[in-house]
Amino acid sequence: MPIQEVFDLVVKHTCEVMPELDGHTFVATDSLRDLGANSMDRAEIIMMTLESLSVTIPLVELAGANNIGELAKLIHDKSTS
Amino acid sequence: MITGLGVTTAVGQGKDAFTAALFEGRHAFAPLRRPGRSMPADGSATAFLGAEIAELAVPEAFPARVLRTASLSARTALVTIAEAWHEAGLDDVDPTRIGLVVGGSNVQQRELTQAHARHADHPEFVRPTYGLTFMDTDLCGLCTELFPIRGFAHTLGGASASGLLAVQQAVWAVRSGQVDVCIALGALMDLSYWEFLAFRAMGAMGSHRFADDPGSACRPFDRQRDGFLFGEACGAVVVEREGVRRHPEPYARVLGMATAVDGNRNPDPSLAGEISVIEGALAEAGLSASDIEYVNPHGTGSLIGDDTELRALAECGLRDARINATKSITGHGLSAAGAVEVVATLLQMREQRLHPTRNLVDPVDDSFGWVRQESVPFAFDTAVSLSMGFGGLSSAICLRKWQ
Repeated sequence: MPIQEVFDLVVKHTCEVMPELDGHTFVATDSLRDLGANSMDRAEIIMMTLESLSVTIPLVELAGANNIGELAKLIHDKSTS
Repeated sequence: MITGLGVTTAVGQGKDAFTAALFEGRHAFAPLRRPGRSMPADGSATAFLGAEIAELAVPEAFPARVLRTASLSARTALVTIAEAWHEAGLDDVDPTRIGLVVGGSNVQQRELTQAHARHADHPEFVRPTYGLTFMDTDLCGLCTELFPIRGFAHTLGGASASGLLAVQQAVWAVRSGQVDVCIALGALMDLSYWEFLAFRAMGAMGSHRFADDPGSACRPFDRQRDGFLFGEACGAVVVEREGVRRHPEPYARVLGMATAVDGNRNPDPSLAGEISVIEGALAEAGLSASDIEYVNPHGTGSLIGDDTELRALAECGLRDARINATKSITGHGLSAAGAVEVVATLLQMREQRLHPTRNLVDPVDDSFGWVRQESVPFAFDTAVSLSMGFGGLSSAICLRKWQ
């Protein structure tokens, strides 16, 4: 699965969790926190993405991501390694 | 004093729609259809009858991101509190002087059942927010996030007496000085097919006799009744201490109230318990039975429950008061019922009119002051409302029209 597809899933679920972002143009350097996601929102977005990909990664291993691009890459790398 | 009311039921959302439905004696009984509540369509069990809210109108002011993870009970709580909040004019009150008591426990069972089913094969993907939403206290968190309530907020469980116990707790909170204003909510009890199967198995829930005629199935105090019918509902009651601020038109003053536990874990009603709360509420009010003009009973349609309640009312000298059964129209809101029935009592008091009792064709006891098929104009100031719950709970409140 290309990283772009993971990125698109993160964006899709971010918009589900925060419908007010509908229409926002997401870029890799967007940080979920700066977009207004609190810790519950961020956990929710990540879990929804993992479920969409049917991959199990402990959330703690994804905590280092600073933005959506890094998050997509982390999920991608850990799900294909 | 009571200064604001909110109500959401299957026969109407908001006081105007609800009042109209009450006086017309409209009903919404049908096979229950909500996902997680209706029986699987494999013919393994007959449908449950009850009344469901067709479409909850939610004000746009509530953010979509919050509503996404808000249960039906929570969304209904928000819209119902909003109605009561605006009527009471609480935007002017110091938030630290406002409290919230959410009446009900285990009120989100249907959504829990759905959440479990959704992830039964992959529990590792359970939503993090489930860690918040599975608790009834999520309603407190949501309501205090969206309304400036900063005095206190907690839930209070008392089975089908929860709604009235919440009103009583709100009265205590303002009497004690803990807060100046307290909102009592009877939360919508959103049950799944598991709870309904158990209610049916224990013989509490109708309707076997009227399975093919939902409109006739809910019949409190009628000889043909065969158990309660569920009805989705939620009620909000704003209680304020007198003398703190002026309010143009309060509904009523709470004159007296009482609760009892009968030392009984079972669903059985207790004649002694019911008598004691009626007498207790009257004693605190400083009234005698002949002063009570209207009784809003618990009246679920339960065989033994309705009989016991009428015996208690008769022994307390309340045979001459006018009486109807709100649940004949709304169904049994369980945790919501006590609050919804305080709302129904006060709306009738304001309109000086009593709603009919649906399906009351052949009353168990004909000697009471029944309101039957049609609503009737009735000038009255003083009322008693009763709520009982499984586990030996009885409760009563005595209200007098504001003047």
